Amino acid sequence: MTVARPNDLPVRWDFSLRPDGTAKLALSGDLDAESTPAFWTTLQAELAGAKLVRLEVDVSQLVSDSAGLALLYYLSTGAMTPGASVSLSGLTPELQHLLRSFSKEDFDALQEHEPTGSSFVDDVGTATWSWLRDLRQQIEFIGEVTLGVIMNLCRPRRMRWKEVFRVFEAAGVNAFPVVALLTFLVGMVIAFESAQPLAQFGAQVFVANLLGLVMSRELGPVMAAIMLAGRSGSAFAAELGTMKVNEELNALETMGLSPVQFLVIQRVVAGILLAPVLTVFAMYAGLLGGIPVLLGLGFPLRMVLLQVQSALHFGDLAEGLSKSIVFGVIVASISCLRGLQTGEGPRAVGESTTRSVVSSILLIIFADAVFAAVTYTLRK
Amino acid sequence: MSPAARNMIEVRDLTVGYDDRLVLERVNFQVRRGEVFAILGASGSGKSTLLKHLIGLYQPIAGDVLISGASLVHAEREERLLILRKFGVLYQSGALFGSLTTVENVRLPLDEFTELSEMAKDLIALSKLRLVGLESAATKLPADLSGGMQKRAGIARAIVLDPCILFLDEPSAGLDPITSAGLDALIRELVRGLGITFVMVTHELASIYSVADRVIVLDPHIRGIVAEGPPAWLRDHAPQPWVRQFLNREAT
Repeated sequence: MTVARPNDLPVRWDFSLRPDGTAKLALSGDLDAESTPAFWTTLQAELAGAKLVRLEVDVSQLVSDSAGLALLYYLSTGAMTPGASVSLSGLTPELQHLLRSFSKEDFDALQEHEPTGSSFVDDVGTATWSWLRDLRQQIEFIGEVTLGVIMNLCRPRRMRWKEVFRVFEAAGVNAFPVVALLTFLVGMVIAFESAQPLAQFGAQVFVANLLGLVMSRELGPVMAAIMLAGRSGSAFAAELGTMKVNEELNALETMGLSPVQFLVIQRVVAGILLAPVLTVFAMYAGLLGGIPVLLGLGFPLRMVLLQVQSALHFGDLAEGLSKSIVFGVIVASISCLRGLQTGEGPRAVGESTTRSVVSSILLIIFADAVFAAVTYTLRK
Repeated sequence: MSPAARNMIEVRDLTVGYDDRLVLERVNFQVRRGEVFAILGASGSGKSTLLKHLIGLYQPIAGDVLISGASLVHAEREERLLILRKFGVLYQSGALFGSLTTVENVRLPLDEFTELSEMAKDLIALSKLRLVGLESAATKLPADLSGGMQKRAGIARAIVLDPCILFLDEPSAGLDPITSAGLDALIRELVRGLGITFVMVTHELASIYSVADRVIVLDPHIRGIVAEGPPAWLRDHAPQPWVRQFLNREAT
């Protein structure tokens, strides 16, 4: 039985099967990355039906690239013709040389599709454990750094103030426009959204009280801290991460200098100085955002200011500012920790930058919740 | 001089590795005072790992590294600082701090560890820069220096506290042949002039023949030292054919 296949593939093939189970397959044409996938399927379907004992493949008329060779190798392992012995003939020396680079071990290893994944419960346990360990490390680091900052402030002459002010300027001054715009808009949105429900009780004038309290106690510090994490924390992580990749951290270590003392303390001090300033700025901008809305509702400016004055006490401001100092420590030290934890290679810097922002914001909200619970209990 | 005093570095039964694999097993060697010692080996044989253990960046699995008789592995904090002060390191990239100028980089160890006056510190830093031929680049930032200049600035910073040993990690990597030969000349000058002991990891055979007194060759298969001796002697007489091939720069 001889079957010649005219088809639309650039590969032509002659397949002849004798009654004793010996078959000859003569391939000719171009077997390249383009034509191999379709031909692979066709050939596999064709051979699957045949009962073979021996298959002789003649490739003397075939032009082939690595994709074609992969098919020939697959064919020669007998994977397409179970139970039959397969031999290739007519290979040019170059192709023979290339074919030898395919190995039986690779092929066998690829045959094993056993999923090696662990169970769901295992995964959840491992992930939780590593998350808890990471959290513990973060909190320990914050503690270590806070202690370091206090010790350094006791001996201010040893501090590298130049670096503190460099960081303060880069991380702070340039952040003001963004923080201002953001909190201005948030203040406006809060005023609009609260004006409607309060109108139902004829209490629209209390929008001013609400805005004052929310901005000084909650949103001022939180928005400022989130901007600090996004703008400056990520910069800290990237800077320290690059230093790690560049072996500068190793250089510090072999000089006997601690990276915490040399790099982290300055950034944390800058963060502590910066966060309250940004927060006060955010509080004002938020209030300013609410004022146009209140003026639009028909309240005179003087009345709005009096309302805010009567609603706000020193305690509210103190709460907002003390929060912001804690947030400043959190953002600066977590970002530095992520920078120091950077692995090998440039991609690791990107990873630690992302991790710095995520962890900072997470811990900010966490600390905010603790603050809320504590101050609620204290006020009662 | 007793043998112990002649050995600047002594490595005893050092076993090192990462989480799941051993890189070197029970390695022993000594580096003598005032010699230029090179660590050779194929890619992946653990040269850089060994260097990082010699300078105390990594903690070994077992064994000890003695720097002029004191153990770096078992040292407590204060003692460790004293040992660290005995050597300088030139990293592959130079590892200069990007926010400081060249002269500030060189001054940094003086700022941190000495009580000298500002003038004295500047004077010392500039003298080291002159020694490596970089006096004209003192006020430039590292980003404005070429690769070769960064490495020379790195050497200046590494020798500013007058260490007994200088470790070099691939000093000629990424340099053109002329700059690299200039670096070799600088090393010879520092050995002759300051009596510094050099330990270098390198691939550059030309610079090994021109500066190294003794080399060790690491073999990833036996996870240890396969040959030790003067490079020219090993090139012709090493018992292992592949070491001779390696040093003759022949393909296997």
